[in-house]
Amino acid sequence: MSNIIECRNVCKYFGEKTALDSVSIDVPEGKIFGLLGPNGAGKTTLIRIINRISIPNSGEVFFNGHQITQSDVEKIGYLPEERGLYRKMEVGDQAMYLAQLKGMSAADAKAALKEWFIRFGIQDWWKKKVEELSKGMAQKVQFITTVVHKPSLMILDEPFSGFDPVNAELIRKEILRLKEEGSTIILSTHNMESVEELCDNIALINKSRLVITGGVNQIRHDLGNNNIELVYTSESAVESAEGLFDVLSDENNAGRHTAVLSLKEGTSSNDALSALLTTGVSINSFKELIPRMNDIFIKLVTEEA
Amino acid sequence: MDFRIIKTVIGREYATRVKKKSFLVTTFIVPVLFAAMMVVIFLIMGNTKERKQNVAVIDQSGIVLSHFSDTDRLTFEDFSFANPDSVKTHLADYGKDVLVVISPLDTAAKSVSVSAYSTSPVGVEFSSRVASCVDDAVEEYRVRQYGIDNLTQIMEDVRSDVSVKEYTIGEDGKESISESGIYMLVSMLLGIVIWMFIMMFGSQVMSSVIEEKNSRVVEVLISSVKAVDLMFGKIIGVALVALTQFLLWIVLTVVLTSAASAIMGKDVLSKFSSDPDVVAQTMGVSPSQLESMGIQPGTLELADSTAAADAAAMAQAQEGELSMILGTLANIPWTRLIISFLIYFILGYLLYASLYAAIGSAVENVGDAQQLQLPVTIPLMVAYFIILMAFQNPDSGIVVWGSMIPFTSPIVMLARIPYGVPFWQLSVSIALLFITFIGCAWVSAKIYKAGILVFGKKSTFKDIWKWLRMK
Repeated sequence: MSNIIECRNVCKYFGEKTALDSVSIDVPEGKIFGLLGPNGAGKTTLIRIINRISIPNSGEVFFNGHQITQSDVEKIGYLPEERGLYRKMEVGDQAMYLAQLKGMSAADAKAALKEWFIRFGIQDWWKKKVEELSKGMAQKVQFITTVVHKPSLMILDEPFSGFDPVNAELIRKEILRLKEEGSTIILSTHNMESVEELCDNIALINKSRLVITGGVNQIRHDLGNNNIELVYTSESAVESAEGLFDVLSDENNAGRHTAVLSLKEGTSSNDALSALLTTGVSINSFKELIPRMNDIFIKLVTEEA
Repeated sequence: MDFRIIKTVIGREYATRVKKKSFLVTTFIVPVLFAAMMVVIFLIMGNTKERKQNVAVIDQSGIVLSHFSDTDRLTFEDFSFANPDSVKTHLADYGKDVLVVISPLDTAAKSVSVSAYSTSPVGVEFSSRVASCVDDAVEEYRVRQYGIDNLTQIMEDVRSDVSVKEYTIGEDGKESISESGIYMLVSMLLGIVIWMFIMMFGSQVMSSVIEEKNSRVVEVLISSVKAVDLMFGKIIGVALVALTQFLLWIVLTVVLTSAASAIMGKDVLSKFSSDPDVVAQTMGVSPSQLESMGIQPGTLELADSTAAADAAAMAQAQEGELSMILGTLANIPWTRLIISFLIYFILGYLLYASLYAAIGSAVENVGDAQQLQLPVTIPLMVAYFIILMAFQNPDSGIVVWGSMIPFTSPIVMLARIPYGVPFWQLSVSIALLFITFIGCAWVSAKIYKAGILVFGKKSTFKDIWKWLRMK
């Protein structure tokens, strides 16, 4: 599987301030890639560099294996976090303009736009001025203008913000459909639930540095604290086993216990399980606790601090 | 540079502006408005002419009164029998506007002193008229003191009335009648029109940059278009709008004047002195000449009619007067003027528009632009003051320098051209302007590229300096 975007040691400075410090990421083709990080971490700077809006001070960006050029931006669709359209322009004219800037011919743009307008049920907005639309309506138009030229890479910065749950669901489905059709999507969001749900890979940036990057499942497993959720039945609670595990919590509900065990370094689940069996408790369930993305985010960001 | 993309940008800038109601309104209303304004000016001028001033004269010297003769606007009446103080306080009761008191003759100085009293300012025309009458009287009195025979006869012979006819010697040595007033008007017009257009369309570029930044649409745009391409697309788009407006104004005025001439008939010029309104509509330049002028005809119409008004004010103007004006207009190097106008408008506009674009990129709303605009508005103001001087003395040092220095040259040179400018000066001025434009465009593009991505803070000159040094 090839990477549509590869960033190699990208550095960007604004005067004295370092915005990106040697960041390297690989965005695999056909996947959804989550770009995470607290506010001010450097996500927007990285997105702008991939978009060629700004040029890195050092480091390289590869697009489909070659160094990215200005003509590649036609294959990228960008939905910035700060949305904006010309307020006085008609929706149709505006969408046509943005599509043509991405290299579409007027005829292709019109046909593709009409199709999208029908899909989103907004055919009758074509002649409306943008200032007559509500914020959510304008966002729908902007989403269409981001994807209408069938970009092979879409960069969506907080795509769900400003949408009601119905429309957020619509956008979510469209993102998955675009992925099905072979597009790659870079998703920058603070909504960790949607990261778990949508993203195949992530990169977490904090204070201008790359903290972690990789597959979502891999990271969640790797960053699990080796915690086990144990459900058992017994008169008395299990106790920490020297050198094997600690009991972090135990909840007794009429003899049925739910405990969280933290395995020590070097202890396998089997070791822990056989130790537990010798205590004579009756085990109902024994499963690895996978951390939520939310917890991983908080843990990594606060650890750095 | 990607020309296909720039073309798309130009297309949008052009289409959105030309489709605007305000564009249509300005294009079609301005010529009409100028016509209406002229009518109003004529009405006002007509009215003020009607209003006469009644002057009471108390002549204590006994030599002046006979020299006062009534004019269109002044009626003199002898009040020498009355007491100055009582007339002074009851001017209105006597039905008088002004009281002129001439002191008893001072035989030592062989002179008199004159005081005028009125309830409202009397105006220059009144004072100069009274002064010249009194001067005549005193002169005559002094001459009489020499006791020369046949004095009246001699005085009649001596009195002269010379008028100056001005000729301009062309490069081919041909002499032509000129009228410096006409040159002044054409020069004033050109200077002001180009100043107005640079100002107007330059700041349109600025507000359009600010609009894109303010609505945040700019971030999407520059993910597709290079910042520099976007900036030049915008500047060229607005320039095309300006040129379209020129063209429409010319066509519209030509159509209006032709229609007016057709209605009025060919011999309209012969009615010249009798009806200023007819003059207003048809005076001066024939449609074909207007067309060849190639400049903002709405204003031109005004100038022609002002010229016409001047002429009309000379009530019994002879035909010769009119033909002199026409001769002067025909003598102005129109082709050179039109070419220079286009060159200077385009270069001057490009220079200022690129600076305006850079300023626009540094701010998020028009209010914040005030301070940053200063370096651009100051040279424009300076240019404006220099053209005011050019009307009086087109060859003075400051005017010549102003027409060479790039930031004022587009405006000042245009004001100089009707008076004739040496070819080498024109070439140097245009070359300097062009080089400066290239330099400014480069600097502006740098500022613009950095500026449009800075949000949420009011940029200062210090920030702009920082962007300039950024790699």
